[in-house]
Amino acid sequence: MSSSKRVSTAPAAPKSPTVLAPTLVIGEHAVLTGTYLITLGSNTVVHPRTKLNSTYAPITIGNNCIISERSIIGLQSPGSDQGMTIENGVVVEVGAIVEAKSIGEGSIIEVNAKIGKHAVLGKHCKIGPMCEVGEHEIVPDFTVLFGNGMRRIDRSGVEDLKLKMVARQVEILRKLIPNNLAKFK
Amino acid sequence: MSKKAPKGEYIETDTGNKVSRRSQIIGTANIILGGKTVIQAEVIIRGDLLRTYPSSSGDGGKGGHPVAVAIGRYCFFARACDLRPPGKMYKGTFSHYPLKIADHVFIGPSSIIEAALVGSHVNIGANCIIGKFVIIKDFVRVLNGTVVPPNMVIPSFSVVAGIPGRVVGEVSEGEVDGFDLRDIYRSIGN
Repeated sequence: MSSSKRVSTAPAAPKSPTVLAPTLVIGEHAVLTGTYLITLGSNTVVHPRTKLNSTYAPITIGNNCIISERSIIGLQSPGSDQGMTIENGVVVEVGAIVEAKSIGEGSIIEVNAKIGKHAVLGKHCKIGPMCEVGEHEIVPDFTVLFGNGMRRIDRSGVEDLKLKMVARQVEILRKLIPNNLAKFK
Repeated sequence: MSKKAPKGEYIETDTGNKVSRRSQIIGTANIILGGKTVIQAEVIIRGDLLRTYPSSSGDGGKGGHPVAVAIGRYCFFARACDLRPPGKMYKGTFSHYPLKIADHVFIGPSSIIEAALVGSHVNIGANCIIGKFVIIKDFVRVLNGTVVPPNMVIPSFSVVAGIPGRVVGEVSEGEVDGFDLRDIYRSIGN
């Protein structure tokens, strides 16, 4: 994870500059590295063993998001330093790699899915297990990716319910995951 | 810490479990290991994701302790697999439910298991994803790279493969012996 390039404000420790909401839940073994700013919104849950890497661009995560263990958020190689934005109510499942520029509200990124560099995901998208979104790709709202690169538009109109479910899940996870916010401040 | 081998790869428990020092087990109090189970490096077991919805039968496991992950005997969890109790909405509240794994279950490297039940003598290959609330019955073989969709029930003696996972064949009677994991357990040294 060490970058050979010179960075302007390189802190010696892997600790990165962060803006953490007071109601954030973050597991003890989560890893926040990099030199750009990492912003995490309120009521968001970061599972243990999640990796957020802001070495190449800032990361902004909204409210009510769930970021699961072993997922990797942030650019893994140099690109535009525009940064990535994850909007409210996004669920990132185990082992997903997210390098997108933005991810719309209520999207679900399932197990081991991969979102390429600078991709733009619309609202309420669902990226199935092991599916990939290419670099610079723009995925419209309500798209579902599944199987071997198949896609469809899901306009079943239950997105408000789904957001509510994510909120409930956050409530439960708040009780289950020992919070270690102080360690990352 | 074991007395005789202070820096071996595995810690051996009283019941003969071999747990790698580099495994990442969270919520150990809520995990039951049946004994003679091997847990390799970088395996994640999420014992912290407990059931929060009160159960009617008072199924709290032994001694009233809540159980998130129950594992039988002679199981083998290869490098970097992930065991995670599934969760869902039920009657307006969200809860996780226990993940139960029976005996002689092999789980290949980097597989992610969110099943509700995995029966005895099940062989799951590498890089598989077992979706939420899947039920796998006894003597099932899941081939490498399979994505088993959520809520699927896999009958006994099936071979499952593909994305999404489908039953592609049957386990023949002669193959059944290959599911016994006692030899693999013995071959794991410290």
